[in-house]
Amino acid sequence: MSDLAGDPARGGDALVRLFHVSKSYLAGSWALRDVSLELRKGELAFLTGPSGAGKTTLMRLVFAAERPSEGQILILGRNADRLSPAAVPGLRRRIGVVFQDFKLLPRRSVEENVALALDVVGVPARQARARVFAMLKRVGLQHRRFHSPLSLSGGEQQRVAIARALVNEPEILIADEPTGNLDPELTLEIMDLIAGAAARGTTVLVATHDHALVERFGRRVLRLEEGRLVADQRPAGGGL
Amino acid sequence: MTSAVAVATIGVTLFLVGAFALVLSNMSGLLERFGREVRLTAYATDGVTPGAGPALAEKIGALPGVARAEWVSKDAALERFRRRLGGEAALLEGLEENPLPASVEVEVAPSHHSSAGLASLREALARLDGVEEVADGHAWVEGYARAVALLHAAAIGLGAVLGLAALLIVTNTIRLAVYARRDEIEILMLVGATRSFVAVPFLLEGLLQGVAGGLLALALLGLGFLALGGALAGAFAFVLGSAEPAFLGAVGCAGLVAAGGVLGVLGSAGAVAQGLRA
Repeated sequence: MSDLAGDPARGGDALVRLFHVSKSYLAGSWALRDVSLELRKGELAFLTGPSGAGKTTLMRLVFAAERPSEGQILILGRNADRLSPAAVPGLRRRIGVVFQDFKLLPRRSVEENVALALDVVGVPARQARARVFAMLKRVGLQHRRFHSPLSLSGGEQQRVAIARALVNEPEILIADEPTGNLDPELTLEIMDLIAGAAARGTTVLVATHDHALVERFGRRVLRLEEGRLVADQRPAGGGL
Repeated sequence: MTSAVAVATIGVTLFLVGAFALVLSNMSGLLERFGREVRLTAYATDGVTPGAGPALAEKIGALPGVARAEWVSKDAALERFRRRLGGEAALLEGLEENPLPASVEVEVAPSHHSSAGLASLREALARLDGVEEVADGHAWVEGYARAVALLHAAAIGLGAVLGLAALLIVTNTIRLAVYARRDEIEILMLVGATRSFVAVPFLLEGLLQGVAGGLLALALLGLGFLALGGALAGAFAFVLGSAEPAFLGAVGCAGLVAAGGVLGVLGSAGAVAQGLRA
């Protein structure tokens, strides 16, 4: 396990860096305790551990939905703890997020859901439509773009969520149990899309309970237990 | 659905506020009419000659709180009394001299319609040379002054309570609408929307709902006025005389709709600020 506490400047092309980070919601109770790690550009890492181990808390810290109680976090070179509220949206536009429950808006079409990420940055409508179409084509859903998310299967809905997370070409992709609601075949389909993003240079952190999936992809594995990072296994050969 | 509930809530709340304003404006109009009848009579001493009377009236007319002052000579007072007696006027034939005093009839300006204003004017008149006694033209002057003061106090108090209630009701109604869309807010924030990007549509929606609610209130008020105005005018004819109940003026109507818009925006702003904090 690497200890980066003494040298925040180390890590070269690391896009996510945590230095002795702890997070407490209740006095005396720690959701995360003294976690240090880094994620490099284009790296795909799995975050594993039992329920309540702190996986979701760590991910929320990375997309600035939470502030650490102790320690420092550098996200894309910005100190997340010193980020002003006005600067948070700018950081989030560079981070895609995917959830187990998809978080799609049922009253908007597939196309509109994906376009949300472009709307907030002010991409002109015509250009946004073209980019959304290209993104939906990449996840194989271009023919369903005018449908309601409610008419789609679970796997299709997660593909829409991934399309929304990636359409803005984020530098970091956070996926919290993205395949938790899907059967094994759909799980592989979704993970292929996520791994494809890493292959294009996006740094990806995937929280999962699915050991078979972790073994199948053979990537870096970060294991949390009771808020502590107890293992950081890198693939043999040092690949991403 | 929540939008319809918000519009209906704003409409009903503003209807109550508007109904209160309508009653208030008609009461004020009525009291203003009565106010023109608020008079004092300054009886002249015997030393005031008919020639000096108009000068006394002019002097009184210059006092603060006097809208108009009119000299009524002894002869004019007798003539007025004679007319009032009508068929019984023959009773006056036996009088050897005119027993009625000359006086100055004083119309009190609205600024002095309060009890204190009337009292100060009464004192000022009594101090003047040539004034023997000051009398209220009508016994209800004090009562009128109290009614005006009470109505103004009630207007301020009830208006404030209704306004606050309207704001709370509207804020809570819109908060429900925002709560129903909390997923949308959460997702927008996740994809990097700024607070203003999230808030502006809610504020615009609040404005539209408020204006629609204001228009609904105005329509309800208009229908209520048409249905009840005639009946009320008949029932109160003895106090209103020939005066017809009046609907809110253009400024009042515009004010009610604008109040809806302001309530909608304020309610949305409060609810969205909470939604963004959550």
